Amino acid sequence: MGRFLVAILAGIVGAGVVHIAVLLLVPTYSERDAWSMLAERSNYYIATRLDPAGQLPLIPTLDPLFNAIACRFDLDEGVLHLHGDGDVPYWSVSVYDRSGQNIFSVNDQSNPTEGLDFVVATPRQMVELRNDLPMDFDGSVFIEADMGEGIVVVRAFTPDESWEDIVSSYLQGLTCTLR
Amino acid sequence: MLKTAFLTAVTLAIAIGGGAGSVWLALDRNFGLDVITVGEWTAFPERGTPSADPYSKARFSREADLALGRAEGVTFTARVDADGNLLRRDCDYTIRGSFPAARFWTLFARDSEGVLIVPGNGRAAALHSYAMLRDGDNTISTTVSRQAAPGNWLALAGDGTFHLVLTFYDTATASGARIGDIQLPAITRVSCDG
Repeated sequence: MGRFLVAILAGIVGAGVVHIAVLLLVPTYSERDAWSMLAERSNYYIATRLDPAGQLPLIPTLDPLFNAIACRFDLDEGVLHLHGDGDVPYWSVSVYDRSGQNIFSVNDQSNPTEGLDFVVATPRQMVELRNDLPMDFDGSVFIEADMGEGIVVVRAFTPDESWEDIVSSYLQGLTCTLR
Repeated sequence: MLKTAFLTAVTLAIAIGGGAGSVWLALDRNFGLDVITVGEWTAFPERGTPSADPYSKARFSREADLALGRAEGVTFTARVDADGNLLRRDCDYTIRGSFPAARFWTLFARDSEGVLIVPGNGRAAALHSYAMLRDGDNTISTTVSRQAAPGNWLALAGDGTFHLVLTFYDTATASGARIGDIQLPAITRVSCDG
């Protein structure tokens, strides 16, 4: 009987170890992530609508009153320049790492400059940029991200259907380029 | 010898079954360490960020999602009404109370699978604060129902349970440490069909 109790106790302790191990391994073995979902749709540096017309949104939590685009990038290839012209009621930008975790976010009011003009670079690339700033980065906001591959998402609020075309063409006009 | 083999099997069965089963249960039941509960509303402000707890991270990795950042907003979800009953589409609800300061907020309903409930007939699937009617004392109340209602109305369709999603955009609520102190509107069941 005593040995049976020991076996059960060892099992419970073992269950704790297995619980922690499985929990920490789930993200590593998960194949359904936002990155692979986007990779099926389009290549790097191509802005993809997250809410394609007439389809379910590509990401489950997207607000139905928002239109959004996503763009995959790789800082190992060079810095990312995200630029857009025009005016919409509200926009926000988020930078995600390869696993889809939100690293940095900003909205149109906390953005110091007019319009949407961002440069995403690694700390090392930032040093190079500071030494020799390209002319067209003059008005850009710099986002320092210590990462390789990532995703940038721009969300724009669409208060009602009359805004749909304006917001859509605004998002369509966004460029996401490798520099 | 046989007894040792049996005891080893018991130990392994408990360890593997219990360990894996408890993870599955925790993920399925939305267990999290950084959950914020205000009345019937819950939020996971750290969800999808590097500072999320391991449960949140594990669940997030299976969802192919891109979560809102702190500067963007914070999302609250309600699955039950103020009395603790599951939200049902054959019932009418009133949402009334104070909304925390934010540039604007949106409110919509999802079914139990997480798919947006689209009421059809040109009715809006979501409400937002810019287009809400306000009472005399500047409070907001809205009806959630399949039947048309005067005032603010979030239209439902179909049968089964649903949950409400309330998202505040550009709000200090998302970044403040006092997120647990905020007040959110209460969801009250008014009546049910049948």
